[in-house]
This record gives sequence, C-alpha cells and structure tokens, in this order.
Amino acid sequence: MKKSITLSALVVATALTLSACGNNDTAKPENTEQSQAPAKDHNAIQEGTAKLQGLTTQLQDAITKQDTELVKSLGKSINDAWLSYENAVRQTYPLEYTDVEKYEMPIFSASAYDKIDFNVLTDTASKLQDALTALLNAKESSGESSEILTKAVANYKLYVEEQTDNLTKQTALFADAVKSGDVERAKQEYAKARVFYEEIEPIAESFGELDPKIDARIGDVEDVSAWTGFHRIEKALWEDHSLEGMSQVADQLVIDTKALQEQAKSYELDPKLVVAGAMELLNEAATSKITGEEEIYSHLDLVDFAANVNGSKTVYLSIIPALNEKNPELGNQLDQSFQQLEGTLRTHQTNGQYIAYDKLSTEEIRVISDQLSELSNLMSQTASIL
Amino acid sequence: MSTEENQPAGSTISRRDFLKLTTSVGFGLAIGAAGMASINEKLIPEAKSEVNKQPVNDVIAMYGDRQAGIITPQQKYMYLVSFRITTSQKADVIQLFKSWTKFSDLSTSGGTMKTGDNPLLPPSDTGETLELSASNLTITYGFGPTFFLEDGKDRFGIAKKQPLYLKDIPRMPRENIDPSLSGGDVCLQVCADDQQVAFHAVRNFIRLSTGYATLNWLQEGFISGKAGVTPRNLFGFKDGTANKLHDNPEGNKKVIWAGQEEPSWMTGGSYMSYRKIRMLLEVWDRSSLSDQENTFGRHKESGAAFGKTNEFEAVDSSKLPVTSHVALAKQSGQLIHRRGYSYTDGVDPKTGNVNAGLLFIGYSRNPEEQLIPMLKLMQSKDKLNAYTSHIASGMFACPGGLTAGQYMGQSLME
Repeated sequence: MKKSITLSALVVATALTLSACGNNDTAKPENTEQSQAPAKDHNAIQEGTAKLQGLTTQLQDAITKQDTELVKSLGKSINDAWLSYENAVRQTYPLEYTDVEKYEMPIFSASAYDKIDFNVLTDTASKLQDALTALLNAKESSGESSEILTKAVANYKLYVEEQTDNLTKQTALFADAVKSGDVERAKQEYAKARVFYEEIEPIAESFGELDPKIDARIGDVEDVSAWTGFHRIEKALWEDHSLEGMSQVADQLVIDTKALQEQAKSYELDPKLVVAGAMELLNEAATSKITGEEEIYSHLDLVDFAANVNGSKTVYLSIIPALNEKNPELGNQLDQSFQQLEGTLRTHQTNGQYIAYDKLSTEEIRVISDQLSELSNLMSQTASIL
Repeated sequence: MSTEENQPAGSTISRRDFLKLTTSVGFGLAIGAAGMASINEKLIPEAKSEVNKQPVNDVIAMYGDRQAGIITPQQKYMYLVSFRITTSQKADVIQLFKSWTKFSDLSTSGGTMKTGDNPLLPPSDTGETLELSASNLTITYGFGPTFFLEDGKDRFGIAKKQPLYLKDIPRMPRENIDPSLSGGDVCLQVCADDQQVAFHAVRNFIRLSTGYATLNWLQEGFISGKAGVTPRNLFGFKDGTANKLHDNPEGNKKVIWAGQEEPSWMTGGSYMSYRKIRMLLEVWDRSSLSDQENTFGRHKESGAAFGKTNEFEAVDSSKLPVTSHVALAKQSGQLIHRRGYSYTDGVDPKTGNVNAGLLFIGYSRNPEEQLIPMLKLMQSKDKLNAYTSHIASGMFACPGGLTAGQYMGQSLME
C-alpha cells in the first residue's frame, strides 16, 4: 500500500518537471505510451539490426583472415551503428538489448588494442550474431512489474554464478603461477583474477568471513602475520619481490574462492539487494579505488575500478525492463552516464590494459571522479523502480 | 527604499511548517535522475500564505531589484564556493541554474526539500536544518571571466555579453596566488547567522551540481559584532568603517551598482572581488600596540583615525603615517563596499603557526577604477604587507536581482 502511494507521488512530481520550468528543454517520453512501440521505432530497429548483422558478418570474415586493421575499423563501425539506434532498442526490447550490449562492447574495446586476440573475438562475434538474430525476431515483452523484476534478479543471479566460476578458475591459474615462482606470469594472472572479484564485490562481502580472507588489505587486519588473500600476494609480488611462503597463501586463496563459489549457488537474491549492490559497487569505486588505496603495491586500481563499474552496469542492464516501465528517463540518463565513464576509462588503456594508477594526473583522476559521482547519483535513484 | 534593499520578508514561515505542507503533496527536489529538481512552483506561494500567521523574523527576501547579500547587514557566517562548469551544453547550464534557484527559494524562506518517503531512495534533503529557521540565509552569485570565454572559446554563446570590467585581477607585487584556490566559472556567496544553515545550503548546491559542474574551492568565514557596530578582523581592528561613507541609495549607486554602460543583465548588479589574505597572527601579536596602530593609521580600540576621537570622523591623511593602510586607501581616492570575513585553516605544519586571515570581499561598480589601483598601491607600499600575504584571488560579475519565477542568470543566458 505504502509503495503505491510513493510511486504515484513520484509520477506526479516527475510530470511536474515539465510544466514547472516554463520551456521544455528536453521532451520526455510519456510514461503511458511505453508499452507500444511506434511503427517508426520498429522500422528503425529492423533497419539498424540488419545493418549491424551485415557489419558483423564482415567482421567475422576479417577475423577469419586475421586482418587486424579491418577488424579494428569494423569494431568502430559496429559501435557507431549500434549507438545510432540503441535507445529505441533499450526501450522496446530490453532483454535483447542487454545481450547485444554485452557482446558489442568487447568488440569495440578490442578495436583500440594493438594486438587482437582472434580466438576470443571469434567467439564474441558469433555470440553477437546470435543476439542480433534474437533482436530481429524479438516480440515486445509485456510482463507484469513483479515478473519483470523477478526475471531481472534471475538474470543477475546467473551472472554472479558465472563470475564466481570465473573467479575460481582464474584464481587457480594465479595460484599455479605463484607456486611455480613465475613472478611475471603471476602478476598477469593477478590482474585477471581481481576483475572477477571486483565485479561482484558486494555479493562477496555478504559472505562474512570469506571477504576478509580473500580481499583484506594490510590496514584491515589486526595481526599482519595472519594476513591472507590477494593483497598479501600482491605485496609479495610488487613490494617484497619474493614469493617465499606464498604457496600456502595461494592454496588457501583457492580454497576460499571455491567456498565462495559454493555459497553463491545457494544465495537468495531479491531486487532490493541487487539494486543496493549496484550502488555499493560504485561506492567501492568512489572510496578505495579512485584514491589508489586498493592496490597500493601493484597500482592496478583502475582495473578494480573498471570492474566495479562493470559489475554495477550489469545490474543496470538487468533492471532495464523495470526502468523502462517505471522511469524511462532515468534509463536514458544511466545509459549516457555509463557511456561517458566507459569512454573516459578507455582513454587510460594501453593495448587493452589499464595504465597504473600512479601514472594518472590529479586532473585525470578528478575527471573520472566527477563522472563517477554523476553515475552514482543516478544509480542511487534506481530504487524508485522497486 | 524597497528597490534599494532586500527587506526582511513580511511573510515568513518556520522550516518545520513548510516541510509539513510540502511533504503532504509529494514535492521533492531529487526526483529526476541526476538529483535534478522538480519543485511544483504552484504549491510554494500557497504554502507560504497558509503559514503567514507565524512570523519568524529571520528571513531575507531572495527576490528584488538587487541580489541579497551585498548591502544586507553582514551575517555571522559565510561560505564562498567556486564551481567550474563541466558540461558543454548551454541547456544543461540553464537546468543547473533552475534547480539552484528553486533550492535557493526554498532554503532562504526556511524550507527544506522533502526528505523522502521511500526508504530505499536517498533522502532528497540532507536534513541538518529540519528544526532550524532561515537564519537570514542569503545566496549571492556571480560569474567569472572563464564562464564567458575560456582559452578564446565562447563556451555558451554569451561572450558578447561579458561585462566591461570582468577580468581576473592582474598580478600584484608580493602576492602568492594559488591558482587552485582562485577564480572559477560561478561563485556563490552563502551567508547566514547559523553556520549549519549556511553549510546546508552549500552542500545541497554541490549535490545539485553533480553532472553539470564541479567544485573548485570552498572557503568558510566568520565575523562577529553587535548590530550596527563595525566588526573587527583577526588583527583586532575594525574592518569596513569606510562603508558608512556610501551607506545611502545615492552612495551605493556610485560605489556598488553597475552603470548604464554595462550589458542589460548587469542592471542592478555589481562586481565581487575576492582576495584570500593570510594574516601572520603570531608575528602581529608580538608587535607593539603603537606598531599595530601605525600600520593601520587608526586607533585600535576606538577605530578613530589618528588625530580623531571617533570611528566615523573624517580622516585627515596628513595625520597618518604615509604608508599606513588607511592613508593609502584614502590616497587612492576610491570607495568600495567591503564585506569581508575572517577564516582559520588549521596549522602550518612547518612553523606550527595558525593558518588564518581575511577573506576580503569587495563589491564595486567598476573594479578597474575602484579596486585595482588601490590594490596596486597597497601591495607596493602598505605597512600591512609585513604581516599579510595574498594567497588567492577572484573576480565575479553578479547580475541584478530576480523576480519570482525567474532563474539565476536568466537575463544573461537568454
């Protein structure tokens, strides 16, 4: 009962934004017309998708021929083509939108790399084709609000399980490298493993003891001799330049991430938790990552930062259907804000790797921080869909 | 008189009553996604008239021919906040000014934004003024040179409307200006007799700016004195005695308010010049009384100029040390409207001395004529220089006042 009152108040107030300012700067879509896609939009989506399919086919050819230059330029064209009509897709076919977005992004990102990983890209391009086919044949979803949210949560749960699986696999590779004493390889694997953890950090944090065992920083522990987890090995790799005693820590880390994977399977998520988690991820990024406090030895803070943002974006993607229904303008703004921040982060990559935090100037950090604030402010409003 | 000064508003309401009225009709600021405002304008006047029966005499009207906070008697606390606009879209800037205006309207009347009845969303208002009255809150705003032209770029298509004398204060001898604490696109002077009320406004201005502007610097100041008595600075001397010389509509017109030659949006406006002046308190406190008085050219306790017995008696420059502060001010032959505040900034880690001083704020009709020559003269010769150092600087053009329904900067932006 209380919820319905709140929502109607929000709708009233949102509608008033238009009248209160005298002249309308931005026309907002009428809430009531969300369920029906205008024919114009439908045609635009069909045309855009057909064009994107063509470009993706060309990309697949270029990948087969291992033509780096062509792959790069097609990556950019695909992104341009997608951006030109993605808003219409997001509002009409949110579920299909999420899939296209998921596979389109890495193809665009790869266009900025010096070296292309053709194996990975072959797989991504084929998944993008599938997603486009699904989009072309999509029917408008007309689920009830509660169903939409339940589906969002189910999608997100799948993602969490996927990421904990990846975390376990990648941590095992990292542990192998540590135990074999291969410092360079260990450093590489470390960065990869961190991503999976940081993408689901709020979930991991809800598993109590496991989080400090896996992710504690030196300042977090009472007894430094009992310190375990990623950051203990980070110190060994980048600060101590010695892996002595680290085999045991690496073994324990593998055990702990497996325990996390097990717990994630039985984890009950509800929409509130998921939405709150997206906010927590951005707060994580705003407090420890943007300040360079998370990875004090390796300076990989941007890797963690991007992973936090990405984890938060996954939540955003899974709640798009609900946003479309309750607050489409918020969806538009979130989309723009994610694009802006992702664009900025991309400029701090060299060959697909984030540069070290200590290579960023104060001004560059400030730009990232301001854009993150904007995104966080928007994200803090997403609970209006619940 | 009513066109000359923003009168304390006859219609006043307590913050709590305002809140009650507004919550019941579902009115909130941070509804739009960026925390951007949507206040139902129609509801505000009604709400105000409803509660007129309960006057609380600490509301200064926001609307009028002039901005409040210029010739308004000085409140006890001030924040000076500088923003850099980050958006490149004029429409966004307008949107920001609109939501700032709505928040200003609300907070200067003693209201707060609805704190929110959805426990899952952040409250619209930060809440620290819920039981507090308006406390004579004023918000005065101005635009810096970079708002019009930045690196030769006409950012928002308003370069041709740049006022005649809006330029950064040129380099002065002996200054130690920190660029990170100077200038800015938009400056807000927020004053109140309750520091928490003033900071509440500042904090919410910052919140509302997210995605449109970023905070450059923020200064806080305080000043205290009985009503009608010239307040004292941290050197223990009266600061602003000369304001009395122009304290009438005719004098203000000559000294403070922008002239006919200015673009029309400056009608009723003024220039705000800002200098952050570090004062070496420990050194000063070890100086003899006669050294201190010779530095100013006035007697410390009475505030009277040398050779006089009363603070407001006309100064006879021949009786003053030639390089004293007051003698140089008189030599320049110019008046400005002073509205400074003292500040403290913690401890200098090297010396253990207190970082403290004066946030000099001066309003003038033409700073090129009134302020800059005076500043140059003082920076070269002033005895005070032994005890002070200018560490930050700014110049802002403050438009005239608003009528209800207009937004901040509207006459400039449209």
